[in-house]
This record gives sequence, C-alpha cells and structure tokens, in this order.
Amino acid sequence: MPLTRRGKAMAEALPAATFKSSGSFGCEIVRHEELCVGCGRCATSCPSGASQRGESFDVKQLLSAPPDSRRGALAAALRRIARHEPEAPIDVPPRVTTYRTIAYEADRCLGCGTCARACPVDAIEARPPRAAP
Amino acid sequence: MTALAKAIEPAAARPDNDQRSIVAFCCRECAYAAADTSANARTPLPSSVRLVLVPCSGRVSPLHMLSALAEGADGCMVAGCLEGQCHYREGNFNAIDRVRFVQRLLASVGVEPERVRMFTMSAGEPPRFVAAVREMDRVVRGLQPLRRS
Repeated sequence: MPLTRRGKAMAEALPAATFKSSGSFGCEIVRHEELCVGCGRCATSCPSGASQRGESFDVKQLLSAPPDSRRGALAAALRRIARHEPEAPIDVPPRVTTYRTIAYEADRCLGCGTCARACPVDAIEARPPRAAP
Repeated sequence: MTALAKAIEPAAARPDNDQRSIVAFCCRECAYAAADTSANARTPLPSSVRLVLVPCSGRVSPLHMLSALAEGADGCMVAGCLEGQCHYREGNFNAIDRVRFVQRLLASVGVEPERVRMFTMSAGEPPRFVAAVREMDRVVRGLQPLRRS
C-alpha cells in the first residue's frame, strides 16, 4: 500500500530513512486458493475490505483442492463425471455461501496479516515485506 | 462417513431390471410422507428410482448430489416441502439454491444440468410426488447414460 502524506513525512523524518526507498509497509499477502475452504473469515476480519466474498466460484480452484479435504471429495466426484475442463467461473446462488472464490484486491490491502491469522487452514501466507529494490 | 453418505452408494447402484438409476432425496416431513401414502395406495413408481430419506431437504449438500451421480446414478432429485412450508423454516430454500449451484457446476464441465432437479410438494399430495418421479424418470430416459471415468 502506498504511503499517506503523513506517513511519508514521518518516514522522511527518520534518521536512517530506510523506508523511503521501499515505498510500502506491511506484509506481502500470498493466497493459496487451492487450500481455501470458503469459510470467509478472511473477508469478515479484513479491516480494509480488501478480501471480500465474491459472487462467483472458480471451478478450477475446486478441482485443485487437496484430496483429503471436503472440497477435494466434491472435486473427485465432479472429475469422475466431467466431460471437459471447466470453462468460466460460475455464478453462485445467494444461499450457497461456502463455494465462493474470495475476491482479493491488492490495492486496498494494508498488509496487516489479520486474514492470515484468521484463516483456519493456513491458505493465506503473510510474508515479510519485500526488501527495497 | 455419515449415515447419509453411506446410504448414497447402494441407492445409486443401477437396478437389475432397469437401464437408468435415479436417486431421490426425500424430506421426512413432506416428500417421504407423500411417497409413503402413494406406496400404501399401491401406485407403481418407475423402477429406476431409489428413495433416500433425509430429515429435511436442507440436509442434502452438493457433495451428496454429486457423489450420487459419481457412484452410478444417472439422475438425482431432491424433494422437499412447499416453499415457505419447510418444517425447519428455510431448509428447502437452501436446497433450492444448492441444486441450482450443482446444476451450474455440472453445466460448466459439460454434463446436462437437467440430471439434478428440485421438486416441492406437501405431505398430502401423493399424486404430485408420483408425477415428480415420473417426470424425472422421463427426463433421465431422454438422456444418454452418464459416462464415468
């Protein structure tokens, strides 16, 4: 996330000014969509609304789920009867809540890592911020 | 494995005297009661249909429907109470949306979405249950047997 005006002023006031060149703070959020179980805790805990429950579901995400999980069982059943590879993501009816792809907007992400802590299956990784180029 | 998941595989197996097999998830309060009454009246049902008793149509998850198809069924129907008359308030609305989700899932991998369908009826309407089963049987017989890998 880019720095605010006040943040920039604070960074420039630091004696070593190591932040100046990095341009951003916070963790780098890496999502492993194939592990996601669709519980939506990242969306409910996100303070900035960067992670939200989407309106659609990517079937490829379902097919790459680990085989011992619940989604993996569904994927195994689907793979047995499938005639071809899934095409576009499908729209999800309103009452189906768990089979949704989380829409993650990196632009709105603060890098706080709350979603990584809330995730019950460790599908979100909060890596330390990348070193300045 | 839950009792319901265990019940799916034998129900999905193809009957000896039929080319097609249909698994019907029937809610205890309405659809199964209607099925019971129609059976007491000795109304013949298509031989392809196997009933699976569930407490409420909202118990049926997408996994149950898909595993019925994967284990050998050519069609799968969910029968619940009339809209707004679910004995567990909103179970049948959940079931309607789940069936719609499974239909879209099937369509995205090239399987006919008509293979999964939702029906609603009240306990006092055995003819409606019989009509629903016959309709499902007619639709599934119009399709090729489901290919599995």
